[in-house]
Amino acid sequence: MTDERVRQPDAASGLLGIVMIVFGVVMLVDAAGLRGSDDPVGPAAAPTVVGVLLGLLGASLVLSARAALRTHAWKDLRRLWRLTAMVIALVAFAFLLPLLGYVVSSAALFTVAALLLGAPRPWRVVAYGWTLAALVFLVFDRLIGLSLPTGPWGF
Amino acid sequence: MGDLITGFADALTPGNLLWALVGVTIGTAVGVLPGIGPALTVALLLPVTFRLDPAAALIMFAGIYYGGMYGGSTTSILLNTPGESASVATALEGNKMARAGRASAALATAALGSFVAGTVGTILLSVAAPVVADIAVGFGPPEYVALMAVAFVTVSALLGPSLRKGAASLVIGAGIGLVGIDTLTGQPRLAFGVPSLLDGIDVVIVVVALFALGETFAHLVAGTGAARVEPVRGAAVLSRADFRRSWPAWLRGTALGFPIGSLPAGGAEVPTFLSYSLERRLSKHRSEFGHGAIEGVAGPEAANNAAAAGVLVPLLTIGLPTSATAAVILTAFQSYGLQPGPQLFTESGDLVWALIASLYIGNVLLLVLNLPLVRAWARLLTIPAYGIYAAVLVFACLGTFATGGTVADLLVLTALGLVGLLMRRADVPVAPAIVGLILAPLAEQQLRRALSLSDGDWSTLVSSPWTIALWTVAVLALLLPLVGVVRRRRNEPGQLTYAGDREPGDR
Amino acid sequence: MRRWGPWIAAALATVLLVVSAAWAEDDEGFLDGRQLRLMAPAAPGGGWDQTAREMQAALRDLAGRSEVYNVTGAGGTIGLSQFVRNDGDPTQLMVMGLIMLGAIESNDAPIGLDRTRPLVRLTTDYEVIVVPASSPVRTMPELVARMRQDLGAVSFAGGSAGGVEQILAGLVADAVGADPGQVNYVAHSGGGEALATLLSGRATAGVSGVSELAAQIEAGTVRPLAVSSATRLPALPDVPTLKEQGVDVELANWRGVVAPPGIGADDERALEELLLEMTRGAQWRETLQRRGWGDATLAGPEFEQFIDQERRTVTDVLKKMGLA
Repeated sequence: MTDERVRQPDAASGLLGIVMIVFGVVMLVDAAGLRGSDDPVGPAAAPTVVGVLLGLLGASLVLSARAALRTHAWKDLRRLWRLTAMVIALVAFAFLLPLLGYVVSSAALFTVAALLLGAPRPWRVVAYGWTLAALVFLVFDRLIGLSLPTGPWGF
Repeated sequence: MGDLITGFADALTPGNLLWALVGVTIGTAVGVLPGIGPALTVALLLPVTFRLDPAAALIMFAGIYYGGMYGGSTTSILLNTPGESASVATALEGNKMARAGRASAALATAALGSFVAGTVGTILLSVAAPVVADIAVGFGPPEYVALMAVAFVTVSALLGPSLRKGAASLVIGAGIGLVGIDTLTGQPRLAFGVPSLLDGIDVVIVVVALFALGETFAHLVAGTGAARVEPVRGAAVLSRADFRRSWPAWLRGTALGFPIGSLPAGGAEVPTFLSYSLERRLSKHRSEFGHGAIEGVAGPEAANNAAAAGVLVPLLTIGLPTSATAAVILTAFQSYGLQPGPQLFTESGDLVWALIASLYIGNVLLLVLNLPLVRAWARLLTIPAYGIYAAVLVFACLGTFATGGTVADLLVLTALGLVGLLMRRADVPVAPAIVGLILAPLAEQQLRRALSLSDGDWSTLVSSPWTIALWTVAVLALLLPLVGVVRRRRNEPGQLTYAGDREPGDR
Repeated sequence: MRRWGPWIAAALATVLLVVSAAWAEDDEGFLDGRQLRLMAPAAPGGGWDQTAREMQAALRDLAGRSEVYNVTGAGGTIGLSQFVRNDGDPTQLMVMGLIMLGAIESNDAPIGLDRTRPLVRLTTDYEVIVVPASSPVRTMPELVARMRQDLGAVSFAGGSAGGVEQILAGLVADAVGADPGQVNYVAHSGGGEALATLLSGRATAGVSGVSELAAQIEAGTVRPLAVSSATRLPALPDVPTLKEQGVDVELANWRGVVAPPGIGADDERALEELLLEMTRGAQWRETLQRRGWGDATLAGPEFEQFIDQERRTVTDVLKKMGLA
């Protein structure tokens, strides 16, 4: 157990705490803007309780991870480029799906994901991805009738 | 009984058997994939079946229904990516088992547990449906509030080693669960004017994001994409000891699943969580929990399938669809001119008995199909992680697209996937988030509904025998472990069994 | 062989894709062989979904294979906002109805029905007010008397907030001189959930579509007090209308079909013709009978006027109830 390994979860829980605090504040602000009702427990009650809890638990996570946040949190950043690339790929997938159709965009998503995860032999991955996407499309769109988006070439 | 035999005679024609086989195969396939559940599949296949005769179509749907419930366990166990919310509890211990080389044992106990629970559930459905329905119908909002209290108190077992981190996960889930239009007043909450958020974030999307995407992202960051898992260690699929530990859990899971599943707002998730907590409390191998305890797979999986049978009780006896799948099956019934409800058994008895018979057949077929496949499924793990998780990603996006169908849903999926990654890195358990996601909105709605119905009178919450009984259970479940802790501290420290281990969930 | 395996599989999959794509285009259909796509802007199993799927079956002989898909949520407004993006595409149709008008108002939806081309109104489903079988209330006037005495003590269980059921409860309160804003209406996300609450005996009364409650009424688990139609319904001949019992309210939960904005006038006429032909067919007649839906066929400008008029009524009630 090195120092590094002990502190890593701390840094992440600090970040999670910050996310929770933000989410909690957003919930409280949103709850404050709700129209009340005549009922004893209105629509704002549950979001208020959950928002406060989010804030408190988030704050407690941040507090206990204070040291790690200051020193270790940003050290990993260089290793995060894969994650960033993956998120960009997912967002691109979301926007390209209606344009390029299911098969092409899913095959591309598979390829990018597998390569980022460290797959050897890129061309083989392309073949696997294409086959998988085509099979999914054939089964779900053509056989079962779930309508998946198609590109100008019909699949 | 004679009716049931006639039902079997109707269902057991070669043609119908073929449809049952088609049904369980499709059902298992869609159940395995995250996001595409039996509801969507049956809805999609409805127009295709218009040309079939009603018995054949219903038999196929029964197969899809049970197949879908069973299929969800496979990915939970192998990949830690539940296909639907009712398989979340299965993933907890199941995936730990798979990583320890016991994938085939976990899959086998899930398959057998599903079979046992499905069969017991179907038997209960055919002999006790009207009685169960009578009780279930008595459950109004105050009773549900009490039931939710029991659930909240007992799920503490799911929170994991750190209470603070478990609670953090729970409230994150609760927060996500509150997004969307408030049912009682029709006001949007936390939707920020985004149309896809108005209807709330689909449970499936959250499950897929927190589990599947979180897992994929974790592999990306850790750079463990080329890792493989040893799928099978040892020769036996299910050892004698495994079996001895599994069967009581199957029965307890069934005992929780069927009655709660038959409650109009019970659902299949609550009994799986309750079953997990119960098994953990009762187990003699408590230290194994968190590292792959077989009871933790057997119980929830049985509860899930028993609940699936339970859901059919209000559907057939009252005509009350209590899940999306049940609603679609109701549509299927209606398109064949059947009106489920109090008169169903007297008016179209033949078809109903054929349906019940086909549920039995579907169950047997599922077991016959899946038990030999257990080892083959487990071999899936020999595919390197990059292949598996790239495929999981493709299926996750497919499932998300199938439930929501918009770009915004995919963006929500990605964002929640990042939250899932953060939780994983921070050692915050993911399962409690799903518990919060499901229980919090339900509890909120039922509480507000109860108070609305009583015109603001809080005493409505303890106004019936059921509510009092359930609140008592909740209080006991809260207090007994504390008593146990106190007593354990007073006695010698090594003693392992104490009162809190046995009593709480038992009712 | 091992080296080429993945490529052979990929090539095979591509061949299948191309063949199936060509085959799908070959399908005989309406509008130069193009397939109709019907959106049901609600979950599978609900009224709009049922309508869309029955249309799919009835259109098979007239327009070939058509496709139904669901976009769920927020009283159909999510589906609507997605639907209007099919600008100028005459193969896209959407099922809609009274509930959507209410939802647009109460959700303050950015996109209204004026962005669509209304084609045909198809069906009506009337609402029925019921009480649990064990309730001491036996007639509508008794319920009205209770409402006048203590409005908050009379709880109505029904479907989604701002939906047809709540509108009916508000209209009834308004008609009997009570404040629609004070009606104790307990919303549920669907008719099934509302029925569960009603059967548990915790609600004073329930409001629901006639077809949804027909089986319960027949079995005697709930007691019908009144229907919301102008005259008694063939399905429930013994149940008096609201008007008969001195409550001047009439409400039909109608459903219809709209096309996207920007389609050509010829296409619009052709689609209307197609749908009218469908409503005349034997299969549609049989559907209406089986589902217990009323025939409400109305096309063209009359339908547009009707929508306009309904929107005003609904907005008015929702405002009085404090929901819009």
